[in-house]
Amino acid sequence: MTGEKYAKASDLPAELRDRLGALVLVLADNKRLLGMRYSDWILGAPALEAGIACSAMAQDEWGHGRILYAMLRDFGEDPGQLEHERSSSEYRNMESLDAPARSWPDLLALNLLLDTALSVQFEAMAESRFEPLHYKVSKLLDEERFHFEHGRGWVARLGGTAAGREAMQRAFVPVWEACLRWFGPPGDAAGLVLCQEAITDRDAAGLRARWLERVGPVLASVGLEFAEADSSGVWRSRVEPDWDGWDPEARRGSEGGPDPDTLARVRGDKNRPLLMD
Amino acid sequence: MSDSDRLWEVFARRKRADAFEHIGCVEAPNSDLGRVYAWQTYDEAKWFEMIIAPREAFHCVNRAEQPFTLHPSAEALS
Repeated sequence: MTGEKYAKASDLPAELRDRLGALVLVLADNKRLLGMRYSDWILGAPALEAGIACSAMAQDEWGHGRILYAMLRDFGEDPGQLEHERSSSEYRNMESLDAPARSWPDLLALNLLLDTALSVQFEAMAESRFEPLHYKVSKLLDEERFHFEHGRGWVARLGGTAAGREAMQRAFVPVWEACLRWFGPPGDAAGLVLCQEAITDRDAAGLRARWLERVGPVLASVGLEFAEADSSGVWRSRVEPDWDGWDPEARRGSEGGPDPDTLARVRGDKNRPLLMD
Repeated sequence: MSDSDRLWEVFARRKRADAFEHIGCVEAPNSDLGRVYAWQTYDEAKWFEMIIAPREAFHCVNRAEQPFTLHPSAEALS
């Protein structure tokens, strides 16, 4: 990518700063809540090793979330307020993270589909002109490689039986639809601005195509027909994104936010008297 | 350990100049999960390199079930 680098948020033109700040908050909220969803399965995972993997992935996600919230200080936000003081409707997470994953296939949908969607967005910022992000992406993706392989490994395992495939089919539909929407509609203004200014290297349609290219073959390998490659090898979703009710700020298709229990946990309500900073 | 799980032996080295040491094993149905579980389970060091191999790739050297003999017919007699 070309053009001058931005060392800090105050160097960015106003519109770009607003757009990027909004994206960082979306990513931070999704990371924080995804970490909670992984942590819900540390105990009760189908194998001891899978529980350990959930613990490691939760730590990774919380680490990423913490870095992103801290980054928002530079955008004029108060990370403490963002982490501990917001109401449910102020969160910018995908609807699939509002409540705990009820089954292992539900968690696997978050692991393979949603986690990969976030990674695709980060990967598009590996060469970002906004240096604070550029410097973080490489290590983050090193960790995310194992999250993707965990998802792919479990899809292969559950895909070995008809019951496993049916369970994944049911669990993956709502998360597939949420992720397909999450990148934004074609021509999405925020995506275009960030792409034109080389903060990201692709727009909403490009990000969605990249995501399909990553997850489509994994699902197709076990006969889950969410996407297929066309004659030129481009992976396309079998369903179109549903833009009814699309909220561009929260990047979700329905109103709402974390459920009350999730909100209390994600904000740290139980330990509120102990907050020192 | 379910029927589809296999044992994977885990080896790692801290520095490029180090020899690999055996650090443990994990149970996983495929190499994708074996690699993930190994990396996430044995995270006590900042490893330079970690590798895994399925247990059945290893061949016993000195723990043969039959005593050693130079007489091929002896095996049939035992």
